[in-house]
Amino acid sequence: MDRVAPQVVFQFLGISVTDTVVSTWIMMLIIIGGIVIVRRFFPSLLEKLITFLSDTISDVMERPAEPYLPYLGSLIVFILVANVIGVVPIITTPTKDLNTTAALAITVFFAVHVFGIRKKGVWGHIKTMAAPLGLFFLMLPLDIVGQLSRTLALALRLFGNIISSELIVDVVYEVAPIVVPLPMIALGLFTGVLQAYIFTILATVFINLAVRENE
Amino acid sequence: MESQTLLTIVVIITSGIGIMASTVTLAIVEGRAVLKALEGMVRQPEVANRLFTSLIVGMALLETSAIYTILVISLLLGLLGG
Repeated sequence: MDRVAPQVVFQFLGISVTDTVVSTWIMMLIIIGGIVIVRRFFPSLLEKLITFLSDTISDVMERPAEPYLPYLGSLIVFILVANVIGVVPIITTPTKDLNTTAALAITVFFAVHVFGIRKKGVWGHIKTMAAPLGLFFLMLPLDIVGQLSRTLALALRLFGNIISSELIVDVVYEVAPIVVPLPMIALGLFTGVLQAYIFTILATVFINLAVRENE
Repeated sequence: MESQTLLTIVVIITSGIGIMASTVTLAIVEGRAVLKALEGMVRQPEVANRLFTSLIVGMALLETSAIYTILVISLLLGLLGG
């Protein structure tokens, strides 16, 4: 269990920097470098990826995906690369740290409110959250509590899936280190891709709940 | 028997029962979800894509309960270790 916890790499001005943060920096370089290379040599591939994302989002939200594509596209690219980058030798998976997944879930929480207020104004957004207007002072706290629990569930779902994959690989590695961890690592990669998709789809559904016209 | 041994025994038994109960319940319920989704796909092949997306999202939400169980038991076992 101790090998899967985040380790401090160096101290900078009194702040301890963990290997999660260093992995995230390397991930940013890889993503930006990858996009630059793909854009020069395979531009149609990039277009196909963006079209796939845009179609998925507009399918779930039943409206054009244009204003929401930057945030949701960044979310899925970040989580996808983060879950998969663990197989590279020195780099650790950032999402096996609860801090990373909690940060992502908190950005989803604020994104819901930002998109809702941008679409409907502050009062309209509050009216959407307290849906049946007759019971205003009951539904609004209930909805806020529900949103907080949804955020917590998002963070714990991603964290729990990724860290249980890592723990299984760790335990199998203790028992039989030569070839046997490989199927477990493959299962972990598959879980990582699926959980990236799930996180983004759930974020899309939450934004849709705040933005849709329910009359 | 001393309290550390008693704690170890209780944690081991609780972990076993907890994992067993959550995994069996989860497997049964997810199997039923897949069954209903497949029946729907057979009945109306044109909404198969939408059904597949809803199935995947529903199964991820169901899976969360089992993940909570794994998390709590890992914490318990970590606490046991020292």
